[in-house]
Amino acid sequence: MKEQFVMPAKLRTISIVLLAIGILALIIGIFALNGPVSGTRFWIVLFFNAIFFLFMTLGALIVLCAATLAQGSWHIAYRRVIEAIFMAMPVFAIIAFIIMMCLVWGDKSAIYAWADKSLVAHSKLLQKKSAFLNPTFYTILAVIMLGLWTYFGYHIRKLSLKEDLSTAGTTKIFWKTYRVAAIFVAFYYVSNAVSTWQWIMSIDVNWYSTLFMWYIWASLFVSSIAVITLFVILLRNLGYLEWITYEHLHDMGKFMFAFSIFWMYLWFAQYLLIWYGNIPEETTYFTIRAWGSYHTLFYINLIINFCAPFLILMTRDSKRNYTIVAYMAILVFIGHYLDFYLKFMPGPLKNNWHIGWYEIGITLGFIGLMILVVTRNLSKAPLFLKNHPYMKEAIIHQS
Amino acid sequence: MSLRYESTIREPLINGTKDFHQVTEDIVRPIEGKPGTLWYVGLYISVAMLLFGVFAVFWEVYWGIGVWGVNKTVDWAWAITNFVWWVGIGHAGTLISAILLLFRQGWRTGVNRAAEAMTIFAVMCAGQFPIWHVGRVWDVFFIFPYPNTRGPVWPNFNSPLLWDVFAVGTYFTVSVLFWYAGLIPDLATLRDRAKTKLRKFLYGYFSFGWTGNVKSWQRIEALFLVLAALATPLVLSVHSVVSMDFATSVIPGWHTTIFPPYFVAGAIFSGFAMVQTLLIVTRKVLHLEEYITLGHIEAMNKVIMLTGSLVAMAYCSEFFVAWYSGDFGEGGQFWWRVDGPYWWAWWCLITCNVICPQMFWFKKLRRNIAFTFYMSIIINIGMWFERFVIIVLSLYHDWIPSSWTYFSPTWADMGFYIGTFGLFFTCYFLFSKYLPVIAIHEIKHVLRVSGESYKQNMKSIETQPLPEFVERVSREEHISTGVGALR
Repeated sequence: MKEQFVMPAKLRTISIVLLAIGILALIIGIFALNGPVSGTRFWIVLFFNAIFFLFMTLGALIVLCAATLAQGSWHIAYRRVIEAIFMAMPVFAIIAFIIMMCLVWGDKSAIYAWADKSLVAHSKLLQKKSAFLNPTFYTILAVIMLGLWTYFGYHIRKLSLKEDLSTAGTTKIFWKTYRVAAIFVAFYYVSNAVSTWQWIMSIDVNWYSTLFMWYIWASLFVSSIAVITLFVILLRNLGYLEWITYEHLHDMGKFMFAFSIFWMYLWFAQYLLIWYGNIPEETTYFTIRAWGSYHTLFYINLIINFCAPFLILMTRDSKRNYTIVAYMAILVFIGHYLDFYLKFMPGPLKNNWHIGWYEIGITLGFIGLMILVVTRNLSKAPLFLKNHPYMKEAIIHQS
Repeated sequence: MSLRYESTIREPLINGTKDFHQVTEDIVRPIEGKPGTLWYVGLYISVAMLLFGVFAVFWEVYWGIGVWGVNKTVDWAWAITNFVWWVGIGHAGTLISAILLLFRQGWRTGVNRAAEAMTIFAVMCAGQFPIWHVGRVWDVFFIFPYPNTRGPVWPNFNSPLLWDVFAVGTYFTVSVLFWYAGLIPDLATLRDRAKTKLRKFLYGYFSFGWTGNVKSWQRIEALFLVLAALATPLVLSVHSVVSMDFATSVIPGWHTTIFPPYFVAGAIFSGFAMVQTLLIVTRKVLHLEEYITLGHIEAMNKVIMLTGSLVAMAYCSEFFVAWYSGDFGEGGQFWWRVDGPYWWAWWCLITCNVICPQMFWFKKLRRNIAFTFYMSIIINIGMWFERFVIIVLSLYHDWIPSSWTYFSPTWADMGFYIGTFGLFFTCYFLFSKYLPVIAIHEIKHVLRVSGESYKQNMKSIETQPLPEFVERVSREEHISTGVGALR
């Protein structure tokens, strides 16, 4: 069993090149994207990517904690991969925090209408909401939530590494991890609502939906599973994790399949009720997305995130096919990237949206950063858990 | 599979030293023996309640809906509350049998049969309410869309009430199929053991001539998987559609997008509570403590805690958005719930559904049988009040202040509700006497891995160093099929 991951030079080069592209796009963006519309584009693209990639790493922690609480053993075979992903959280949390502070304190952007004092002065509704939507409260909550998410990640990782060094057959750390995971899930559960309301729902400040928090959760859960799958397959291709078999691959395929359907369920529940109720305050959200200039993206979103996984991942054979699962993971990742795009852009940019050099450049930069940080984390610890009580179950796991 | 192994950190699912024969003996004992006095007493009380319900319904059909407490403002009250409540209870069974099967949760084997039976009975009870609520019950078949002689008269396909007919109907059908398919091998076991001719004939007839050969097992296992795949979306869809009865309208307190998943979470919450209520009694009376262990009860309490917290978060979300939206009607509605004439119903709901389940954070309480039993009843009271709060408390305070009113149930409302309890428990008593309350063949399936006495064998595997273990299993062809082929 290969214990230590060594980052291949080629992968390193690729990730650094991607990161460089991102930084280049950012620098050009600073100079080229000014003015009311372009300035907004500059910030919203940065913000959207920061949140999306932050949520991917956070999602990995949620997957791990959920599986821990359910006493699952399927994920233990590649738990170090999951750990490496959520240990990238501090990097993305800092980036997201800097951008968020620029959005609410610097008055450069038109992303949060409620952060603009002159707009609030003229709107009764915004004044009413200002108890929840104001820069100070936003900052405090962001510090608490980002801080605690990162802390829990660190804590669980620390326990996991400690378990490797403890004597065989010990279960103390197992139960401790279990308790920490329970507390994290409870905290995440509340912070999920608060963060989605304050960070994302408030972009379309007049719009509201009670389901929104869970809808975001479904999206980040399924795309995190896609990211985990991609890294597992990557490592497998590089000759590591030789105990991972079709059985494990099959499970990852199942999860992508199941949660793609779950995502669609929540999407549809929200859409149907708003369409049926036909209340103007609520329908504005979909008017621009489904009937405005986002029309095409709106339908592509549904095809990629539901139709494709549903039809392609339905059979057993496809979930046990390396190529299909790998491509589906990429597709699901892109799909939810698009889904997030549709949540962020229409509010501030209206019909002036782009998918151009800047968007692609920034995204590639974030992807490069993700690969770089995650692979670095992977090389910091053994690839298997030496003393985990479920490790052997995980190895003989049958899907 | 050549290696039977499960981590010793997992609690055994079957306690004591058992072999296959002993499992059969333990589970069929109540069926083959004579029922005790308690069973008769319970059955008679249930039948009496059922008869009272029949009388209440007769009264309602004879005199009309006016005998109920509904009025001009609150035109939906107890009947729909009870309908939603019973449908909700009917969610645990299919969740256990379908979703937990797909998630490979071994502990489902101890509780699935009884939970599925409970599901079916609960849905039967739920179905009564819309049927008798139509008033002219002789025209109830109008709800089914079929080419008819009434001219172009069709049900309204845009109405969630019609979707309900399909959703609940499909759910009931699939649940019955699932339950029955699982029963077939066990009925055959009963047939093979039967001493009297009548028993042999009946169990033989209903086991469809099951022989237990490999081909049959292969087919029935495949059938379980297909039915599980069909039933999984149904667990979500039924209560989602039920929630749309309310959420598609524009009544404050009803129109909110979180309703579908929140109703589903609430349904699972109450369903598991009902499973606890029934199984805690069943395991005691039928001496099945070794099969429905403390581990099972704890696992279900965890599900209760999870779904209870989901529901609690949904309440928070509703309240938050009622304020955040700045909508006058919505905000007023929610404040009226807390502080209006029916404040006690709302507080009852919060106490039972939000505060109480949080006690299950403590392992000691999760594994305390008396406490669990008590909590399971509290939760179902809370879930009843949840539906009552949503339905009646949203209606009695409507748009026109002059029509604000209060709702009080009549004896006919209560009689109908009590009658469904009678129906439910009558069915359950008969079930527990004539059918195995635990799936015998499924217990046998997990016995060799999760039985307490078999777990001793795992010790030697557990102490083996990891690389050696990998070496061993790859020799036994666990891993070799995967290596290389993946690249």
